[in-house]
Order: sequence, then structure tokens, then C-alpha cells
Amino acid sequence: MSAVIAADRLGKTAELQFATFYVGHMLLGVDIRVVQEINRQSEITQVPHAPDYVRGVINLRGDVATVVDLRTILGLPASEASRQTRNLIVHHKGEAIGLLVDRISDILTLSDDQINPPPTNVDGVDGRLMSGVCTLDSAIVVLLDIDEVLADSARQE
Amino acid sequence: MAIEDPELLAEFIAESRDHLSHVEGQLLEIEANGADIDVDLVNNVFRGIHSIKGAAGFLGLVTVNRLAHGLENILGLMRTRELTPNSAMVDVMLRAADALAHLVNNAEASNDANVDDHVMRLDAIFTNAEGGAVAVVTATCTAVAEEEQHELDLDSAVDFVEQAMFDEAADDAAHPTAHAELEPAQMPIEAAAPPAPTVIDEPKSTASATPTAQAPTAVAESSIRVQVGVLDSLMNLAGELVLGRNQLIQALNTDAHVGIEAVASRLDQVTTELQEAIMRTRMQPIGAVFSKFPRVVRDLSAKLGKQCDVVMDGKEVDVDKTILEAIGDPLTHLVRNSIDHGVERPDVRVAAGKPAIGTIHLKAYHEAGKVRIDIADDGGGIYPEKLKKKAIEKGVITAEQAGRMTDREAVRLIFHPGFSTAEKITDVSGRGVGMDVVRTNIEKLGGTVDVDSNPGHGTTIQITLPLTLAIIPSLIIQSGDERFAIPQVNISELVRLRREEMAKRLDLVKSAEVLRLRGSLLPLVRLREVLGFGLPSIATTEDDSQATTNIIVVESGQQRFGIVVDALHDSEEIVVKPLGRHIKNAPCLSGATILGDGHVALILDVAGIAAHEQIGSAHETVSTSKGEETVHGDGDSQSVLLFTNHPLDHFAVSMDIVARIERIRADQIDSVGGQELVQYRESSVPLLRLENIISARPTEPQNWVYVIVFAIGGKEVGLIAPRLEDIRRVPTNVDTITFQEPGIQGSLTISEHTTRLVDLFQIAEIAHAEWFADQPKPNVEEGKKPLVLLAEDSTFFRKQVKSMVEERGYEVVDCEDGLLAWERLMEGDLEVDVVITDIEMPNLNGFELCQRIKQSKWSYLPVIALTSLAGASDMQRGIEVGIDDYQIKMDREKLLAALHNFTGAKAGSSRRHLQPA
Repeated sequence: MSAVIAADRLGKTAELQFATFYVGHMLLGVDIRVVQEINRQSEITQVPHAPDYVRGVINLRGDVATVVDLRTILGLPASEASRQTRNLIVHHKGEAIGLLVDRISDILTLSDDQINPPPTNVDGVDGRLMSGVCTLDSAIVVLLDIDEVLADSARQE
Repeated sequence: MAIEDPELLAEFIAESRDHLSHVEGQLLEIEANGADIDVDLVNNVFRGIHSIKGAAGFLGLVTVNRLAHGLENILGLMRTRELTPNSAMVDVMLRAADALAHLVNNAEASNDANVDDHVMRLDAIFTNAEGGAVAVVTATCTAVAEEEQHELDLDSAVDFVEQAMFDEAADDAAHPTAHAELEPAQMPIEAAAPPAPTVIDEPKSTASATPTAQAPTAVAESSIRVQVGVLDSLMNLAGELVLGRNQLIQALNTDAHVGIEAVASRLDQVTTELQEAIMRTRMQPIGAVFSKFPRVVRDLSAKLGKQCDVVMDGKEVDVDKTILEAIGDPLTHLVRNSIDHGVERPDVRVAAGKPAIGTIHLKAYHEAGKVRIDIADDGGGIYPEKLKKKAIEKGVITAEQAGRMTDREAVRLIFHPGFSTAEKITDVSGRGVGMDVVRTNIEKLGGTVDVDSNPGHGTTIQITLPLTLAIIPSLIIQSGDERFAIPQVNISELVRLRREEMAKRLDLVKSAEVLRLRGSLLPLVRLREVLGFGLPSIATTEDDSQATTNIIVVESGQQRFGIVVDALHDSEEIVVKPLGRHIKNAPCLSGATILGDGHVALILDVAGIAAHEQIGSAHETVSTSKGEETVHGDGDSQSVLLFTNHPLDHFAVSMDIVARIERIRADQIDSVGGQELVQYRESSVPLLRLENIISARPTEPQNWVYVIVFAIGGKEVGLIAPRLEDIRRVPTNVDTITFQEPGIQGSLTISEHTTRLVDLFQIAEIAHAEWFADQPKPNVEEGKKPLVLLAEDSTFFRKQVKSMVEERGYEVVDCEDGLLAWERLMEGDLEVDVVITDIEMPNLNGFELCQRIKQSKWSYLPVIALTSLAGASDMQRGIEVGIDDYQIKMDREKLLAALHNFTGAKAGSSRRHLQPA
């Protein structure tokens, strides 16, 4: 969302970069400006009584960072961690949060006219979590709205 | 209203707050000075208000600007001595300053606020004093602009905007919440009458104001001022750290990792210093909180028709910023209470022979690594009997409980929930929730609060707080696969139950598990269940850890309960890290920390667990099984550790000399030259077995044994105690006749078992006389042994102390109480070198004995006091009467060392003194 607005402000041909990754079969992307780093999955400490999408907390160089499971948020079935599982650390609202993803893909540079508004749902994933979609030759990239994905109050139901 | 630059606004708010925080105290000082105007002081206030006015004008905050202008006008006149400040004026100005603070805190909404009333009153003063003062004001403005350059304040030298860029506080400060104390809602909105002393006559407005003052809405200061020196040292340390890293990389690149130890120790040192330096930046003087009390006292005492001064000591005492923020409300409440309940009306005071003006004494100081704050008033004090009566009426305690209560305990009833002593409920205090809330809030900070009262003469509230909340000593425990930290402040003891004990000690009350602990029932929670980890697979009891149950007895406020955990690990000082926003609200957790191995451990919130599991208050736990011995307050008692060597041989050792208890695997015990040893933290601890030293049945082989560790002359020695039973308080009427054997002090009957009391030092001496060879012996002059006068009422202890002191080559004259000892000394035929006295004795106690000695011709005599466990209040009293040293009764080594010090140093001189006398 913020990316789209930024693009509008800069003019029509603004280019945006997205870090893309796979969760299940879906190719997803987040604005690269919110991505702090990508880690191998480190030891996660479980947090009792946490919301179901919270996997636990990790030691991120001396800070305690929450790790959320993107699968649960997107409503996909849970899966076992593999060697390709990565922790995509995003910096959001003054806090580092880890997104558990199945596999990291490329960095994608898109101009804003390539980005289309999201449909109401993609493969069963709620369109409200997306800021847009982009159709490439080989695949469809779903661009996530990180504010919605990490909204803490909305998903308490 | 839209402000262009939120950072600029945040900076304005921070700076204005800083100015306003001084203004209040300064205005009060101006009031106190009266006609004798201190121009520098007025200038200071003027500058502060002027800065706010200027910045507000720049930011387009017209209301702030207008109000500040009104204040500035009056100050301008005072500065040029054209206006003499009086109480009424200062009153108006204080109110205006309050309103200004409120506007500043809500800067974005300030332009819609109505300050007409304040401005009108200020203008009234201004125009009354000087019609055409405008010229003066403008003139002073320019003068002030220059003066501002000289301000010592670090910040103001820096460019306003540039500085804003460094302010991380922008977010928080841009959404300020109402400041609790400075709630302008309490301003009486009256007709614009000429300002008059507004005391005693505004019940409505203040009634609405005080409850809001309680609301926990204090603005959290999100920026902090740090001394340049501290920053410099931080920079230096950061440089050192970089250097250390480079050295580390270099060392790692060499083949044999040359010099890596040196680098590691350097890094260790730098990080420790760095941590300390960073902690220093968080420390702020407590004066920041104290400074608001003169105003609180002034306003409240005037309203209640009382007269009261406030004296403050230790404003410079530094405490952590987080504590400083949290302590404001409880302290305010206590100060208000002191005025409302403590200090009497002037006529009452005069009738009682006290000065009409009461005094509230606030004192902050460091004590034993903690911060103490005392709030003392010289008011009416608290009458324990009155409190007890009230408590019984309210059903807080039973008449029987009241009968057993000491006065000190009775006074502590004021902290009980639902208790208020106010004869009539006032709007100031007396709603009966206050002290309870104060106590809960202080305990939340890891502190304690206590009260001491002298009926008729005053009350002192004592608060003890930790220096910081950022590092807390904790016990690491395990539940399931995860480790957790429990803060040590919450832990009162650890209980370990063996499987065969479980049936006896665990019980169900209304389907809730309870633990029988020394005659009372303690509610139990299982951490696995609390945290939703599910039940352990009980089938696999082969594992040693499941053969026993570890219970941590915790206390939090009114609750006391046991937490069943899977395993206990080390104690660690942990650094508290906040949890992210998705899990911040998880019940039972208060934060997280990173353990030495890099794993994250969550910190358990004991109060949260109690709330989650709905554990009632400690008062519900009832006393059960009257058959069990309980030792009552009369007579001495001592704490002993009970263990068995063989199922039929019961032993006890005094807890006072036990350094700690270790559990080791039998295969960890090495045997070197016939001496058994266990390696512990890079040193080897020699082990003793009872059956080798005294007549006892040998131990059956076990996989795990306990070792009772104690110290002899600085060296640790362990006694193998195969099975630990309990820790109990037992009476000291030990039977010293039945079992007379070296190494055994006597016997006691505990839980129907004859239990032998083991003298650890004696058995160590029997086993290894050489350990004691180099112990100091007294300097014996001309064949004369130093003479010890011993006063001790317990026969058991008297004999023990006498025999051990005699053994070491002293001569002992023993007396059964203080009075007998005093009389013996008065006879004058003894050449006493040192006095050893018990504290609690009939006829004349240890304090009184010492006092008499120190006021007599024997004042040079060293007095060593013996206690079962030295309490801080005892220590204090002891120092007052001149006791030279405190020793724990059963700690033979230390007592003998102390004895040696006193006699060794004074043996020669004291005799010469005594001869002519």
C-alpha cells in the first residue's frame, strides 16, 4: 500500500522493488524497503498463550523478535520446516518481526503500471491482505500489504 | 490543527515540559520570598515562560502563546520590582502554569482550549499593578533573548531544529496523554472575580479532580538528558569494543588462535564497563519526582486547614528512569495521606505540645544496593489498638488473630485491601483502596513498603526499591522443552518432593491441588498446564527428573502459591527484553531474556499466573494438621535442616552455617588418598561421611546424593546427606544428656523421630584436625587466658558457645541473662576482655546490657552480639547502643575469628586499663 502511494507521488514511471518468496505454491512479494534481512531459521522459543499465527520468539542479535507464520495468516495448511525455510525479517512499526516463508525467490523490479489492484481473493487468500498483483510471463506475484498482514488487533477473533 | 513538522512539535513539547517542571518550584520560592524579590530567580522563570511563548508563536500555537504572554507580563513586573508577589498572585500564576502544562501536553488540540479565565485573571493582576507596562515587557524581551545564550542547558545551545532530528521521541510525544497531576479540569471555573486566596471553599471541583489524579496516565517521558561526560565515556568504550573485535578477528586468523584469551578478557572488561556506562545514562535523580511535593503539600494542607512544611533529603539519589516514572503516583498518594491522616490541625498540635506547623520529611538514600525512600510525618501516628478494632469490625481479621498481633503487625494492616482508617471519608483519601494500591504498585516494581508508627509522634512509611528494572536476578526453570525465568523477588523457597512423599504432601481441596507445607496448605499450579504444554508422559518414570517434583513457592502481593516445574536450572542475572506487540498481552509473561547460550527464555509473571489460575489471596490458606509441631514466638528457635543417613538415623544441622546444598551423582565423587572429593566450579570440595566419624549406620548406595556445603576458614567442605527431609524451625531446648559424643550437639524429637543435632565444625575437626591447625589462637600473655563474659539464656547455646570458646583457649564466665552478666561485671573482680551476649534474654536483654556497659567505665569492652539470624532492624538498634560486632550463633568459625580480632588487638591494652580500676 505504502509502496503504491509512494509511486503515485513520484510519478507514473516509478520503479519499485519487491523481495519475492514462496509460501506453498504462491509467489508472494513484499516491498523491499521494509525487509531488514533474511535469516536461516534459528531456534524458535514457543510462546504460551500467543495467537495461533505466532510461532514464537527468536534471538535477533540481542533483541527478542516475534516470528509469525505466514501460512497461518494466509489461511494455508501448516507444513514442516525444510532446509529452504527462511525467516524474512521485516521492520514494521519500530519492531523487527520474522515472517516464516518456505523459500526465497528473486528481487523483482516493477514499474507501478505493471501492478494491478488485487482481486477479492487469490487461491483462497483474502484480497485484503494484498496491495496488488503483478502478472509475469511465468507466474503471478501477489504483493502483500505488510500493514494488513501484521495487524495485531484484527486477527484476534 | 495541523502542525507541519511533528518532530519540531515534539521538541517543543519536550523543551516546554522541561521549563515548566522548574517553574512550579520557582513560583513557590517567589511566594516564600514575598517582598524580598530575588531578581535572578524571577528572571529564570521569566526566561522559561518566554521561551515557551516564543516557540509557541513560531509553531502557531496561539492559545499557548496567549497564556504564556499573560504569565510573562506579571513576571516582567516582578522582575523590575514594580509588583510585589503575594500568595493570591502566585496562586493564579500556579494555576496558569498548570493550564499551560496541560496545553503543552496536548499541543495539537491546544488552539481549541479555553484559557480565557486564566488570561483574564492574569491580566487583572497585570493591569491593577501597572497600566502602561507594555513598554517594559518589550524591553525585557530583548534582554532575555541575549540572556538565553548563556543558559547552561546543553540543549539550548544546539539549534532547535537540528536537535529535533536526533529526537527519537517524536512518535510518542506527538500523542501525549493528559498529565495526571496537572489536570486542568481541577481549575475552578468561576466568575472572573479578582483573585482571592482560594482555599477550603471548592469541594466540587477538587472532588472531581482527585480521582483523575489517580488515573495512571502520567506522561511517559520518551527522551532523556545525558551528561556529555557519560556520552564521551560511551564513545570511548565503543571504540574499545571495535578495537577488541579487530583483535579477535586477527587472533582467529592465526593458526593457533594466538592471544585469544587476552582478547576475550579485554572484551569481557569492555562490555562490563559499557553496560555500566549505559546503565548510568538511565539513572536520573529522584529530585525530579520530589520537586512536585512542595506544591502538593502547599495546596493540600491549605485546603484541609492544616499547616505543613516539607523537608526533602537525598534529591540527588539516582534511580532508573523507569522506576522514577512509576514511583510518582504511589509517592504522591503517600504524601497526601501523611497530610490528611498524619498531620493534625494546628490547634490539636499545639494542645499536644507540638509546633503548630507539621513537618513531612522525605528522604531518599542508598542502602544495601537498593534505594530507600522514607516518608515521615510528625503527626498523630497510628494507634494499633484502634486499627485492630477496625479490622475486626470490617472482618479483615478475627479477634483471635488480633490478639496475637504485635503492634508492628497491626500497623501494617493499613496495607490490607479494603481498609481505611479515616474517621470520615474525605475526597483526599479514605476511600480504603489507597494504601493497598500503593503497596501493589510498589511490589510490581520489585520493591517493598513498610510502615512504622509511634502513636502520638508520627508515622514513617519506608519504601525499598531496586536500583533498576532492566536487570533482575532470576531463577531459570524448565517446563516442557522450554526454559523460563522467574524473578528472585517473587520466590520465597524451593520445595522438592520425592515420589513416595507426594501422596503425603500433595492433596486436593475442591479439586484444586495443594501442598502441605509446615502445617499450612499452599495452592499449587502446574506450569505445564498453565502454559498449555499438556501433561508429561508419566509412564516414563525411569527418568530421574520425574522421580521428584520441584515446587517453587512464589509470592506476589497477597498471593502465595506453589508452581510445579519440570526442572530447575541456575540462577542468573537476566536483562529484560520487551516482547513484540503480537504477544505483549500474553497472560503469565512479563518479558523475555536471552540466556548465556543465545536461546530466548520467557520471563514468567507470577501475578499474571495467579490471576490466570484464579488463585485466591494467601489468607484463604488454612492451617491444618495441628499435630505438626509449630514453634511459637516465645523462646528461641533455630532453623535446622533435617536429613537421614540411613532410614533409621535422623540428623539435623543448623541452617545458619549451611552455605548451600548441592545434589551430585554418586559417580562424581572421586577418592584421592582415602579422601573423597567432588569437583565443583574448578575447585575440589572434600566430602565427609557421617558414618566414618560418629556412630551411625552406613548409607545405602544411591545414584544421587546431597551435599551440605559449609565453610571452614574460607575453605568449603561438604557433608554427604543421602536424603534430605525438610527445613524446620525447632526450639532450642536440646537434650544434651542422652547422646554425648564428639560431633553431636545433642538430640531433639522432631516428627516422632529422635534426631541428632550434628556439629559440622566438630565433625570436620575430628576427621581433619589439620584443617584447624592454623586457626588463630588467642595471644596468651604470662600464661593468662583472655576472659570472655558470656550472657545467654538458652542453656543449649550457652553450653555450645562456652565449650567452643574454651576449646580455643579462652576462659569463659557464663551468665544466664543480661542482668546476671551485668551484676557479675559490677562485682569488679573480673578482668574481662570481651563480652559475648545474646540479644533476646529475660530481665535485661542484649541491647540493654550493651548500653549499660558502653555507658559505664567498661565502655572500652568490645561487645559481640549473637543472633540466630541478623535482621536489619536489629543491626540498626545494635549500632545505636554500641554493639561492636554481630555473629550468627552457630557459625563457630566466624565467631572465633571475631573473638580473636577483638582480643588480639586489645588484649594488651585492656588489661592495663583494668588494673588501676
